[in-house]
Amino acid sequence: MPALIIENDKIKEAVQTIIDLGGDGILKCVQCGACSAVCPGVKAGFPVLCRLLIRKILNGQMEETIEEVSTWGCQSCNRCTEICPQGVRPQEVVFAYRRYQANDLALSTSAFGPQMSLYQVGHAVTTEATAENRKKVGLDPVPPTALNNAQAQKEIQTLLDNSPMADLGIF
Amino acid sequence: MAKVGVYVCHCGTNIAGVIDVEAVRAHAETLPDVAVARKDLFMCSDSGQEMIKQDIRAGLVDRVVVAACTPRTHEPIFRAACEAAGLNKYLFEMANIRDQDSWVHGQDHSGATEKAKKLMASAVGKAARLHPLEDKYVDVTKAALVVGGGVGGIFSALELANMGFTTYLVEKEPSIGGVMAMLDKTFPTNDCSACILTPVMVDAGNHPNIKLMTYSEVEEVEGYIGNFDVKIRRKQTYIDWHKCTGCGACAEVCLEQTKGKIKDEFNLGLSARGAAYIHFPQAVPKKAVIDAANCLNCRGHKFGEEPRVSKKTGEPMIAPCQEACPADAINRSLSHDPNGRIEEIKVGSIVVATGYQVMDKGWFKEMAPDSPNVITALQLERLISATGPTGGKLLRPSDNEKPHTMTFVSCVGSRDEKFHTHCSRVCCMYMIKQARLLKEKYPDLSINMHFIDVRTAGKDYDEYYVGARKMGVNIFKGKVGGLEMLPGDKLRVLAYDMESATPIEYESDLVILATAIELPESAKKLAQTLGLQFCGSNFFRELHPKLGPVETSTRGIFLAGCCQGPKDIPDTVSQAKGAAAAAAVPLAQGKVKIEPILSEVHTEKCSGCGICVPLCPYDAISLKIHGDRPRAEIDMTQCHGCGVCTSACPSGAIVLHGYEDDQIYAQIAALTA
Ligand SMILES: Cc1cc2nc3c(=O)[nH]c(=O)nc-3n(C[C@H](O)[C@H](O)[C@H](O)COP(=O)(O)OP(=O)(O)OC[C@H]3O[C@@H](n4cnc5c(N)ncnc54)[C@H](O)[C@@H]3O)c2cc1C
Ligand code: SF4
Ligand code: SF4
Ligand code: SF4
Ligand code: SF4
Repeated sequence: MPALIIENDKIKEAVQTIIDLGGDGILKCVQCGACSAVCPGVKAGFPVLCRLLIRKILNGQMEETIEEVSTWGCQSCNRCTEICPQGVRPQEVVFAYRRYQANDLALSTSAFGPQMSLYQVGHAVTTEATAENRKKVGLDPVPPTALNNAQAQKEIQTLLDNSPMADLGIF
Repeated sequence: MAKVGVYVCHCGTNIAGVIDVEAVRAHAETLPDVAVARKDLFMCSDSGQEMIKQDIRAGLVDRVVVAACTPRTHEPIFRAACEAAGLNKYLFEMANIRDQDSWVHGQDHSGATEKAKKLMASAVGKAARLHPLEDKYVDVTKAALVVGGGVGGIFSALELANMGFTTYLVEKEPSIGGVMAMLDKTFPTNDCSACILTPVMVDAGNHPNIKLMTYSEVEEVEGYIGNFDVKIRRKQTYIDWHKCTGCGACAEVCLEQTKGKIKDEFNLGLSARGAAYIHFPQAVPKKAVIDAANCLNCRGHKFGEEPRVSKKTGEPMIAPCQEACPADAINRSLSHDPNGRIEEIKVGSIVVATGYQVMDKGWFKEMAPDSPNVITALQLERLISATGPTGGKLLRPSDNEKPHTMTFVSCVGSRDEKFHTHCSRVCCMYMIKQARLLKEKYPDLSINMHFIDVRTAGKDYDEYYVGARKMGVNIFKGKVGGLEMLPGDKLRVLAYDMESATPIEYESDLVILATAIELPESAKKLAQTLGLQFCGSNFFRELHPKLGPVETSTRGIFLAGCCQGPKDIPDTVSQAKGAAAAAAVPLAQGKVKIEPILSEVHTEKCSGCGICVPLCPYDAISLKIHGDRPRAEIDMTQCHGCGVCTSACPSGAIVLHGYEDDQIYAQIAALTA
């Protein structure tokens, strides 16, 4: 394995990218590891979350890490933010990194389906079973949300069309 | 006309790296009143000072201006040089062209040079108008007060007493000893805390020059260095200490009556005491007190009332504590003043050594504080101490069983912006100590320690830490994220191993939290009484973090031990001895100098309006009758020369010596020229 070369310009650029994308506490991290100790994503086997992701960014390893799937394992539970003694808000860093990844279309394949579904029907995840269950208890199979409201779907599409998401060309 | 000598310093490259020193010197020569203008690489050096002295002795100059670093550290040096050459030292003025110029305008060389010229010229303007002033002296009371009887206070008191000064040692608890008395063994030598502290406590208790005042608190402090008037509240003990022999009979019967309902503070709630109790077995003085708030007034025998007479026996029903006392030291029929009594003492200097507290586990909701098996490190000290609640056996609180796996959690409330951002400095070391002591005693015990990083920067400390690794203590880098209570009184530890970048999860029988060291809430009141300030971490602020570590901004008041910041016993004792040495200086001199840069009221101009009186932050001004009318008067011993009254007086009746009107106008004129 090649040794890590510490390049100040690369580090500066990495930190600035993450700060601009919303992870503005990143420089406060002292690498104590408390966030990773409570992160369900880390426990489920996605090692590059919170502390280790921050370490890699602070090493300037943005490009080297861009295909990392760990970030997509974040559950947005925010336990890392609660426990961090330095006010880093690690979850924001994880999300900032995801934005960076998304901008380069380095999304997890599992992310494409839900995105398209969100665009088309207004829900990221829909299942057949839902309709069956609703029918059983005498409800309309389609719930009274965007799923059943063409105007709401139109609005969601307009919003997404006007958001940076549109630039990714998923829809 | 004044003959001002101007001396511009290069301060190595501190000043000369930014400011054109020669240009400043040459500019001085153009100013009125300037007789000579010179420069030197280091004005504070011997040769620099000699230059000033020669010019004074030769009669070339009778006012001195040094343009250099800062008066904070260097004004006394140059004043002394003037004095040595026979010039009144208050005819000296300093222009601060380092702190206020080269350091802040490092990128703007020409601008900084222009500013230096102005600062120098303003000092010249003032210097030309200065008047000679004389130092004043007041006598001192040759006695000292030490507040707080922990290891710091005890050593300060012994040091002062050994120098021959009467020393009052005031402690709020019934016995001296502080936290060190609660510890089991102490790093890095592992000697038993009680074995090394008890003899010192006894020395302090028996010393002919130490007046021990335990169960007492400082109520009020007035006066100034050399002459403090202190009121001390001796709290009500409800027991005659002249008679009490410390036999403990009252405490024993009281514990039976109160049935273990009162928590023993000395054992941090791990055992019970009576309402009548002795602080701990090795207490000095070894005397009992009755904690009235918890007293049951057994058999209806209230304080200040005669006992009721039993209908059955016809005998008076005295309380069991009184009945048990063989020395007749308890007389509940007496009416005791619950507020105790006030004792007044006079001292010349004061050492504050009031120590610290550790944070309560209740603050840390993620650390399962409701589990009895999650305890603080100080509780563990009691749990493994031979004089503790289990006689030194490691038994976990929930079921008194020996734990198999135990966990140490570092930095709980320390290095955390939600609580304290400072490092508590002793936790890494005491956790390693506790782990080593336990591993020696119970080699099978599995001990896991989790640190953000290990901080062991004292003499012999890192060797101590490496030794713990060699003994098989498991040490992990990574902060514990949380604890979860499990059935069977176990705890699930959620941690992380930074080195392998993997989460750690296991079950532990006992968890020790190294909670942060902080100043207790009660210290605020003491700070107000003594006029102490707080630092960023909320400990008492020393005068200067490097050069004034035991002094405070109030002259005559000194600091020692953890009240100034977290530290271990070796550092506490060193600082305590240092504080004692500093506190002894005014006592040894017999008098203290008062600098004459003070305000004075010109009575003939004063209208007696009284506006200045409430404005003075040091309460130095009062209205006194002069002739037939009230006039303001300033107590020179209280005035700090802040100038608030001077600027507020509508009659222009107050002069601040060294900052008179024409002197200040000359400065303004030079700065705005
Ligand atoms: C769990 C634990 C283990 C430790 N183990 C070690 C060790 O092995 N080795 C080591 O070197 N250090 C150890 N330390 C650190 C050690 O406890 C301190 O360095 C030492 O106790 C500091 O002494 P002190 O006199 O400054 O404060 P304290 O011991 O806190 O004494 C202060 C005294 O002042 C009294 N007081 C407070 N306010 C007032 C008031 N207003 N009026 C009158 N009296 C007042 C208090 O009652 C107390 O008696 C340990 C600390 C902890 C928490
Ligand atoms: S918010 Fe995401 S990164 Fe943070 S602890 Fe939860 S899963 Fe892990
Ligand atoms: S808890 Fe905070 S300080 Fe610690 S490693 Fe995570 S982000 Fe950094
Ligand atoms: S009366 Fe005496 S024995 Fe009873 S609770 Fe009070 S102190 Fe204890
Ligand atoms: S403010 Fe001035 S006039 Fe008024 S009492 Fe003080 S010194 Fe006198």
